[in-house]
Formats: sequence, C-alpha cells, structure tokens
Amino acid sequence: MFLSWITGVYLVYLAIPIALLIMGSFGELWLNTLLPTGVTGRWYVEVATDPSFRRAFVASLSVATITCAASVAIGLPLGYAVFRAQSRRVRAFARVLYQLPVALPPLVLAFGFILVFSSDTLPWLGSIWLLAAGHIVLGLPYFLQTVVSDMQRLGLRTLEDAAESLGSNGLQRFMHIVVPALRHSILAGLIIVAALSIGEFQFSNLVAGFLNRTYPVVLLQAFYGATGFACAATVILLSLAFLAAVSGSLVAGGATRMKVNVA
Amino acid sequence: MISAPEAQAAPAVSLSGVTFHYPGSTAGVFDITLDIMPGELIVCIGPSGCGKTTLLRLIAGFLKPDAGSIRLGSDDVSALPPRARECGVVFQAYALFPHMRVWENVAYPLRVRNVAPAERRQRAEEMLKMVGLTGLHDRLPAQLSGGQQQRVALARALVFKPRAMLLDEPLSALDAATRVVMRDEIRRIQRGQNIATMLITHDQDEALSLADRIVVLRDGRLAQVAPPQEIYDRPKNAFVAGFVGRANLLDGTVLDGETVDTPIGHLATRPHGMARGNAIRLLVRPERIEIAADAAGENIVAAQVLRDRFFGSSRRIEVAAGTGRLEIETAARDRVANVRVPRDAIQFLRSN
Repeated sequence: MFLSWITGVYLVYLAIPIALLIMGSFGELWLNTLLPTGVTGRWYVEVATDPSFRRAFVASLSVATITCAASVAIGLPLGYAVFRAQSRRVRAFARVLYQLPVALPPLVLAFGFILVFSSDTLPWLGSIWLLAAGHIVLGLPYFLQTVVSDMQRLGLRTLEDAAESLGSNGLQRFMHIVVPALRHSILAGLIIVAALSIGEFQFSNLVAGFLNRTYPVVLLQAFYGATGFACAATVILLSLAFLAAVSGSLVAGGATRMKVNVA
Repeated sequence: MISAPEAQAAPAVSLSGVTFHYPGSTAGVFDITLDIMPGELIVCIGPSGCGKTTLLRLIAGFLKPDAGSIRLGSDDVSALPPRARECGVVFQAYALFPHMRVWENVAYPLRVRNVAPAERRQRAEEMLKMVGLTGLHDRLPAQLSGGQQQRVALARALVFKPRAMLLDEPLSALDAATRVVMRDEIRRIQRGQNIATMLITHDQDEALSLADRIVVLRDGRLAQVAPPQEIYDRPKNAFVAGFVGRANLLDGTVLDGETVDTPIGHLATRPHGMARGNAIRLLVRPERIEIAADAAGENIVAAQVLRDRFFGSSRRIEVAAGTGRLEIETAARDRVANVRVPRDAIQFLRSN
C-alpha cells in the first residue's frame, strides 16, 4: 500500500512537467496564471515554419545519424577487442578507460574542443562533423557498456569457438555470429546514443557554430519569446526522443518475432 | 570384454607425447600418448582440473601443444587452426547460435563450406532426422528443451562428416531422466555414424556405460587407459580404483604368501608372491563383501554399523571392523553383525 503510494506520487511528479508542456503548447496565452487560457494550434505552425528551428531540426538529425553510424563503426570493433583481450588486466583497464567520459562534464570536453579546433591549423569549430565527434565521445561509453555486457551474457566466446570448429574464418565469424547475435544490444545501444545526441545541450551550445546549431541549443532561445512557442518547440523535441525509443524497441522486438513466425 | 572395433586399422586420432603447459601455472597435460580408433568411443574421466578439457581443446585445435604431435588420420594437424581440423565439437552448454533457427544452426558448417542453399537445408534436415528431431526445424534454440538442444548440437557437429567427434561434458546440463536417455542416444548416433569420438565427463556411470575404452586422467597424466570392465575389475592403482566405482582400500603387511595383516584383521588372500613384512595395499569393492550369518569362518570379521542407508535396490552400509572401516553395498535386508570378505574379492594394488 505504502509502496504503491510512493510509486504513484513519483509517477505524477514525473508526468506533471510533460503534461504542463503539452497543455502550454496548445494554450493561447499563459501569463501569471496557473494554467494557460484559450486553445490554439498556431504555436506548432510557427515552430514548423521558423527557419532557424527547421535548420536546427535537420542539424540535430544529421548529427544524431552520424553519431550513431560512427558508434557502430568504432564501438563494435572496440567492444569486441576489449571482450576478446587475453589479459584480465587489459580488459579491466580498457573498461575503466572507455567509461571515463561518463564522469567527464561535457563542458570540459567542449573547452578542449574549442582550444584545439579554433586554431588556424584545425579550423573546424562549428561544423556538423565536429559536433558529431563530441557526441561520439559522450555516447560511446553507453554503447560499449550495452554491447560488451551482451557479449558476456551470450557467451560469445564459446559461440565463436563453436563456429570456428565448424569451419568458419574470422570474418565469417564476425559477420555470421557476432553481429547478428548482438543485434538487440546494438540497437539498444544506438537508441541511447541517439537520445543522448538529440538532447545534448552543454557541449553543443559551446561548440556549435551559428549555422549549425542543434535543436536544444535553438530551443533555449525560444524561452525568451512566447511561452506557447517554447512549449510547442519542447514537445517536438520530446516526441522525437520518444519516437526514437519506441521505434527502436519495436524494431528489436519485431526482429525476434519475425524469426520465430517464418515457417 | 568389449574390444575396440577395427583394432587393426589405422587410428583416426593419434596423440603422441602431447604436452601442454598453461603459462604461469603448473596445470596442463603432460606426455599424453593415445590412439582413438575409427568408430571407437573413448570416455575421458578425471577430477576437475585433471586436464580433460585441455586434452579436448588440444585435439580440436583451440590450444597448440608445447611438445608432441596430434594426427587426424594420416595428417599431422598439430599446427592447424580449429577450422582446418574438421572435428565436430559439442560444447558443454551446446553453444547453439541463438539467432539462427534449428536447421540454420545445423546447416552452418555447410554454409561456410559454400554448399548450395537447397542442399544445405536438405542435408541439415536429414541429419536432424538422424538425431531424432523432426518438426522443430524452424524453432530458435531458446524454444527447445535441453535434450532437444543437445540433439541439435550433435547434428551440427556431424553434418559436415568430421574426422572425429569431441564432446565436452555433453550431459552435465541435463536433468537426471533426460541424461540417461541422451546417454543412450549419443551411443546410438555415434555407432550409426561410426565416428571416432572422445567424450569428457566426471560421471563414472556415464564413463562405464558409454565407453569402448576409458581414459582416466590425473594431474594431466594418463592414469590408466582400458575398457570399462578392466578399469573397474583391474584398476592399475588406488587412484583409479577410488575414482571409478567405490572402493575399500586397506593398507596391510604381508604375514605369509596368502595372508595379510590389515586394520580390519588378518585376511586370507590369493597368493600374492610377496615376502613377509612387505607393505601391500588391498582393494575390495563394496558389493563383493557379504553379510555373514556366523561369527566364525575364513575372513569373517565382527562389524559395528556406523551408517546404514537404504536406496531401494541397494543398501550402503558403513561398518567399523577391527581398527579400520569398510563400506558394503548389498541387496540383503539382514541385520549386520559379522561380514565376510571373500578371498577372491581381494585385489592387490600398487599404492601410488
């Protein structure tokens, strides 16, 4: 009874800001009142037609896509190498090393990027690629953690031994066994990376150039304007993150079911 | 006694002086020389850490010997990687690929050998039928029971006509009832394919009931290699006697050519050919000791029951006799006051 009360109160506490945002995004006017007055859809139209928001939306999706692609390209071989490392000490050291960015404030990373990439030799500050590069550093620990723990759970080493004894070479093992067996955790890792990249503010705010600002960075400016506009812009960001999570889990679940049902 | 089939043919697997040392430890296997004949089922048994899995991994190619050579048929494969050795390995937890359907698992060795897809599926299904699994071809491994997974693993290990089959404790993950069924199934399938096989276990019942020959390993060395009956009836030493089957081991001193002084009293034996005063170790299997009705007679000793456990078909009794102890296994329901150790039940062992 007591426990369900706590759970209930906590859920309400979680839902209230989202509910207020959604309410605000459809409200005509919201000044000094507990709830907005009037109903309108015009804030969404305004956000959708605002050129800087449209730009930011595309920039965010581009950065997230690059970040995800790079996470797989870098994270999978890296995680595999850590998992396969012979020495226990090497594995432990690698794990600490790749988990470090979790403890690193994005602010620090941003300062580092600014120092290095504002020079004349590497004048790339403000490009989409540099934003993605930072997001990779921030997202990779979560991707690696998800994938490496799945490798352990599956007993990937024994699966590979089996494949090897059955006649497959290294590349075949990677493509036939490692990647497909890990598909669920790769997807789960990518959802985390995508959500992180889409919502990231601290780093992006400092490193993004004026032309390639990401959605959260532009969103901040919206709060200096009309409340309804700001709410609508935020709800779009929320929906985007929600969509990524739901579609990701549907794809992962669907892949399993399809395999089973084909007769 | 069952002898190895085709004993005069060339061995399918031949180990000669194989030594492997785990870096930074004293564990490994040392100077193993062993042949497995075509169609023969060798069961390798020993306490954990004795090197039995190491031996299997050496034959499969996951480990490379420090010394000695491994031959499959007439080829020296010592330096070859696992995929070039063509050994069908069944792993302890089966290691079925979780993302592949049953038939895809079985067809995998054919896939990496570039067999055409239609033929792959057909050969996989034939093999599945042979191991007694039909109608489940499109399931995923997670949807199968332990025994069914075991059958898939066997089919996968045999579908590419390997030169030898290696099974690493294949029954240890199964419940007791399935284990007995699969034990007979492995034997049937192995016989049907007539393939040289090494099976690893720590279960003596499994070893005794399955093997053409049993290999007892101790600390990485061969303790004895012999058919099951010989291992049980004529163990080479106390370790083998104690590890395969239950054993009463009595350390005694020779009194004369046919009498030994033991902790449970003076025992009359067959002629042992040792001089008076020599130390000798005797082996008496528990089921050979009888409950005696009389107190007097040859090799009858007074016994005091310490423990008496009833298993339905048998009864295991531990008694104190003289200053020693005996374990007795009997079907008799009688009260125990005296036990008889028949003269021909007493064997002589080397004491190492």
